[in-house]
Amino acid sequence: MREVFSKFLVDLAKKDERFILLTGDHGYALFDELRRACPDQYLNCGVAEQNMVGVAAGLARGGYRPFVYGLAAFIPTRVVEQIKLDIAHDGLPVVLFGDGAGFVYSTLGTSHQCAEDIACSRAIAGLDVYSPCDDVEMAWALERAYAGQRPSYIRIGKADVGAVHAQPMGPDAAGLCPLAGASNQPLALVATGSMVALARDLAAEVPASIAAYSLPLIKPLPEAALIALAQRHQAVVTLEEHSVFAGMGSAVCEALSEAAPLPIKRVGIADRYSKYCGSYAYLREEHGLTLAQVRQVVQDFSQRQGLALAG
Amino acid sequence: MSSTQANYFAGAFDPKQLRRSILAMAKAGNAVHIGCSFSLVEILAVLHRDFLRYPGNDPDHPQRDYLALSKGHGVMAQYACMLERGWLDDSHVARYFSDGSALMGLSDSRTQGLEVTSGSLGHGFSVALGLALAAKRSGSQQRTFCIIGDGESNEGPIWEGALLAAQHKLANFITIVDENGLQAMGSTADIMDLGAMEAKFASFGFEAAVVDGHDETALHAALTRFCDGQDPRPKALIAKTVKGKGVSFMENNNAWHYSRLTDETFAQANRELED
Repeated sequence: MREVFSKFLVDLAKKDERFILLTGDHGYALFDELRRACPDQYLNCGVAEQNMVGVAAGLARGGYRPFVYGLAAFIPTRVVEQIKLDIAHDGLPVVLFGDGAGFVYSTLGTSHQCAEDIACSRAIAGLDVYSPCDDVEMAWALERAYAGQRPSYIRIGKADVGAVHAQPMGPDAAGLCPLAGASNQPLALVATGSMVALARDLAAEVPASIAAYSLPLIKPLPEAALIALAQRHQAVVTLEEHSVFAGMGSAVCEALSEAAPLPIKRVGIADRYSKYCGSYAYLREEHGLTLAQVRQVVQDFSQRQGLALAG
Repeated sequence: MSSTQANYFAGAFDPKQLRRSILAMAKAGNAVHIGCSFSLVEILAVLHRDFLRYPGNDPDHPQRDYLALSKGHGVMAQYACMLERGWLDDSHVARYFSDGSALMGLSDSRTQGLEVTSGSLGHGFSVALGLALAAKRSGSQQRTFCIIGDGESNEGPIWEGALLAAQHKLANFITIVDENGLQAMGSTADIMDLGAMEAKFASFGFEAAVVDGHDETALHAALTRFCDGQDPRPKALIAKTVKGKGVSFMENNNAWHYSRLTDETFAQANRELED
């Protein structure tokens, strides 16, 4: 996913002289090729995220196409107000990236872990929010954000959990992607970002009972596709490496409670911080987000809903 | 962009008239922030008269100079100048703050003539830097003037941005500090002492100067030096001002950050501003 991101930036820099990448002194090797090929289109704004976002807004006003890179703990979380006032308020075509969302920085503790970025960003009027899960969704999100010329936030979580999509997504894809085998099973898993591969694997265990979907577009939410989903299935479990408060699952609940109510269980990060550090896998387990733990949650929820899960 | 006369607006921008316009708006809208607006009247008058280039007096001209009122609390002073330019008319004054009216009590970028949304402080400065950077990258001769307050300079992004301005040698970026010595709850010296702002900006890599912010001749001279000089550094003009300047009972009286006009104070203030 990061390679797709990096290559997209280089290709865009060569194609569009208005493109400029701004980073708050983050990215390390990610921008090596961009800096080599198009050094004038790379701007390290220093460890100063608030100013960087304002500068990006000014550059956009002056005709440029800024892409702003940071860690999700900082972009958008630290700079919510700059995104709101300086960028989204005027619909400026600035694309923001929050890397390392969730528990990617598993050993660095609370300052670098991020469970709040979807909640922060989707409340900002006029800001699109993406959460791609693999190379295909990342390429789709990048193209859509660039071509749409709208304020956009792209969340980058754990990036190496493997490919989910076998085929590219067309530019008109709905933003809700049924994964292989999804039809009208009783239960639907709707996952985003780093949780999509797990949802796929869980569904594959009981393919007659569970359908899996990826939701890379969190705002504007593909409501029509979600309503259709609600009409095909009897219950939904949402999965995200983000707070269960005001994240993707909440967005799905908001949309479906009005238009097509059905039981929904939100799986995500509970109302607490990581207590210890360790590997990424360790933190996923600490927060109840491993395959075995999610399987148990899904089984318990299905039982309460009177759904029998069988292969 | 050429500096031909056609880019400048032949207006008097008379400070007394501008202050009377501010009073009229404040009275019509029952608005606050009169003192904040009065302190930057001469600064704006000089900028509009002699420095801001709007070809064809078009506030949206793509080659205009930028005026970013990062100190959004002084927006009525800018409205008064926009009124003189014909970008606003008397109906805007009469309808100020009435239901469904467009002019906000703080700078809002959706209004022609206001480049930035501010009032949450420290925002306009960074956006203005982006505008200056865009102009420099494009090889444009556009200048960016950014007005900040001394209270506003408590905000971290001001100093983040100052570092960036110097790093990129944004000589086309001219910030003017409306240093009236007061912020919302009292004197800057008592709340968050800024010390010598000229020295601070100089140490951040700016060409900096101090001027009496109500002396139009001095303001003009200082800005001319900045605009005509060859110094590659960004510019900072520390304008020593008086909050509430122009009306005796408002001057240095921080109550006029929040106070509203009565019929009596409105009449009294206007009498002091008669020609």
